[in-house]
Amino acid sequence: MLSETDLPLRLIEERAFIDFLGPQDEPWLRVLLAEMARFEGRRRRELAERLSEPLPCETPYFKRRAATRALLRLWRRERGANGSGPAGADPAHTRLRPAELRAELFGAAAAGETPAASLVDETAARLGIAPAALIEALFADLPGERPVRAPDPPPTPAEAALRTNLAIAQAVLMRACRVELRVEGGIRPIVRLAKLRGLLCTITDGDLAEPARPVLEISGPFSLFRHTLLYGRALAELLPHLAWCARFELRAACAVRGRIATVSVESGDPIFPAAPPTPFDSRLEERFAADMARLAPDWDVIREPEPVRAAATLIFPDFLLRHRIHPERRVLVEIVGFWTPQYLATKLEKLRQAQLPACILCVDEDRACAPGDLPAGMPVVAFRRRVDAAAVMREVERLTATAGSKAA
Amino acid sequence: MRLVFDRGTLLLADLADLPAGIDVGKIAGVLWDARIGGYRAPARLCYAIASELRRRGVRIAAQPCPDLTPPSEFRPLELRPYQDAALAAWRQRGRRGLVVLPTGSGKTRIALHAIATTRTPCLCLVPTRALLAQWTSALAAIWDGPIGQFGDGARAVGPVTVATFASAYHHMASLGDKFGLLIVDEAHHFGQGTRDETLEMSIAPLRLGLTATPPALGPAARRLATLVGPVVFERTIGDLAGRYLAPLERITWRLTLDPDERREHDALWEVYRQARRAFEGNHLAGAWEDFLHQAARTDEGRRGIAAWRRARRILAFPRRKREALALLLGRHRAQRTLVFVANNETAYRVAREHLIMPLTCDIGRGERERVLARFRDGALRALVSAQVLNEGLDVPDAEVGIVVAGRLGEREHVQRVGRLLRPGDGKRALVYELVVEQSSEVRQAERRWESFAIRNRSAA
Repeated sequence: MLSETDLPLRLIEERAFIDFLGPQDEPWLRVLLAEMARFEGRRRRELAERLSEPLPCETPYFKRRAATRALLRLWRRERGANGSGPAGADPAHTRLRPAELRAELFGAAAAGETPAASLVDETAARLGIAPAALIEALFADLPGERPVRAPDPPPTPAEAALRTNLAIAQAVLMRACRVELRVEGGIRPIVRLAKLRGLLCTITDGDLAEPARPVLEISGPFSLFRHTLLYGRALAELLPHLAWCARFELRAACAVRGRIATVSVESGDPIFPAAPPTPFDSRLEERFAADMARLAPDWDVIREPEPVRAAATLIFPDFLLRHRIHPERRVLVEIVGFWTPQYLATKLEKLRQAQLPACILCVDEDRACAPGDLPAGMPVVAFRRRVDAAAVMREVERLTATAGSKAA
Repeated sequence: MRLVFDRGTLLLADLADLPAGIDVGKIAGVLWDARIGGYRAPARLCYAIASELRRRGVRIAAQPCPDLTPPSEFRPLELRPYQDAALAAWRQRGRRGLVVLPTGSGKTRIALHAIATTRTPCLCLVPTRALLAQWTSALAAIWDGPIGQFGDGARAVGPVTVATFASAYHHMASLGDKFGLLIVDEAHHFGQGTRDETLEMSIAPLRLGLTATPPALGPAARRLATLVGPVVFERTIGDLAGRYLAPLERITWRLTLDPDERREHDALWEVYRQARRAFEGNHLAGAWEDFLHQAARTDEGRRGIAAWRRARRILAFPRRKREALALLLGRHRAQRTLVFVANNETAYRVAREHLIMPLTCDIGRGERERVLARFRDGALRALVSAQVLNEGLDVPDAEVGIVVAGRLGEREHVQRVGRLLRPGDGKRALVYELVVEQSSEVRQAERRWESFAIRNRSAA
């Protein structure tokens, strides 16, 4: 992550505005990328040194620092041949093992009285390489001494700008202790990721009138006590995934330049997105969707419908089955992994609180976590290995029969 | 009611059972958490809150408690009198507090003794991966039980666990209720706000901090006292030199730059000064960051920054320093020598020129351990390092230190010099300092030793 000193931010009163890189920055980004290309095959340390000095053109200071850091990180992901030294060195050194070489050469230097130069000559002669190649190979395996390798293909100036923007926005969020998110579509992966990172997700009261676009407050347990940066990394991780939401607005109070300022990021901001989310959580869900689509052509099978509010939390059903002609006939379906009878009872109680018209739980019989029977009289479909789409459809017909007859 | 550990915090649950008239929200540190509709407090207050509730007649049905098997059957350890006194002072202050002792005086030994006698699951926090390995070895030498480790790729919990600061910071939400004793090595890293949560998220009531360089009186010192405890024992180099620490001799070599280096350095410095003057003309008392920001906007400024970096590079390892280093390495060939340089690049240059092993952050743990073992048994006579040897790493019996250059100031210097003070038979530690005349190094060197002397005088 970028350090605070690398962040192009404008602070105006209580707000901080991120100075995103855009098309106007592409000329100097092109110079930066060309400079990095010039160091292809040379030591990474040399490239880092070069980039610590100004470019031969006018550059916005913070933006350039941020871009340099973000691109150097991208470059570092490209690994050169193991233990290989800079281009142009004697290729013989590639078969040498630098760590063993160090142990041998430095040990020999400490043991005897032979001058360093003579020792290098002797060792090089014994290995059949030039003394210069031996010296070159001594630290060839260390990170700073590894050869510079550009990603293939190298980023264009536009991509470099997007990647830098993501790095900047994430670095800002790293300095947040809570974020407020207004999201439309694709919220489930965000909540799932947040919970996986040990964060608390709560719905604030301001959004009750607009359930399709809930306002989530995401924070960590310790955020209650002070502006901690403990959860910054987890909060920053959410950002590239937001790009896959239909619409989002993120607001965060961040500690920047000695004060707390509110930062906003929203749909349309030029940020490099994360890899697209997988359409299904599991093969099981994927098969169920396919089976349902085949079995019930009159019904739309909607994956991850909008979340449903239940008290202070949101419920994220796996599927919504909606009749195409009579859309009032609708049933939510949730596929449950590990379970206990108590868990199912609580879950169904939550669904009742949410006042849902109908919801079916599909429960894996093999994954019960505690002895006990399934709760009686509840719309639960048990399955083994594969959800029986026909059994689910029978429940769907039963639950929506009233709605259907009314409609008829 | 119940106290429940929740990711580094404490939840106060089942409040319906509370006797009438008790408002838990008024207990120090307890806050209402609207997100969950309950009361919450930092985990470090666990025992204090439980004790306060019991005092008010509340029956606590459950509270977090370390459930790992307490470590036992440690091999006996002998302590020097001042180490014994430090431990006694810590016990007397309710087993919470900071022990301040110079590098090489055996702080780790005090901690090991505390772990062995306290016999409660213990978490040792250390700043670096190098120290992680060192503490694990030290514990293995006195105990045969499983030693947990967090950091350097490992994630294992044991009755005694060692974790790097960084790793503990990220995992305390799950580790916080597992230990009753916290040992904080190089405790001066805490108290400044950064990563203090590591100590706040643990329920451990017993805490021992170790440092050679405690923070000066002020907010950081007060915060550290809250998190770990007050300074319970302090001795300095002056107190222990002679009997328990090797006496120290400082030799400063004032070196000149070669005419061509001097010309280049002065020319570069002048370019930098012009850029700096131009900046100061418009920004009175502007910070260094502001200067960099402004300078990057103009050709003159960009030249100034580049010139400043190059001038510093010349000072880091000019010809005379190279010659002086060669001379000193030759003179002390029979003694174990540590060479301190400003950066890794110089460390590798020194290594290539003089064939002495560099110990940098780039060298992997396995190799680093082999190198230190060889240095210990005399198979290697010298090591060169930029920062790895600065803090805590146990390098026994180095007799000579050569400070070619530094960049982190007083604390770095105290730690570096401390590397040489471990006592030996008739040992006299020698510190050479190579300083380029008519350069910024002169003032830096004076400042380093001034504060070093003050630290010792204040101890006497």
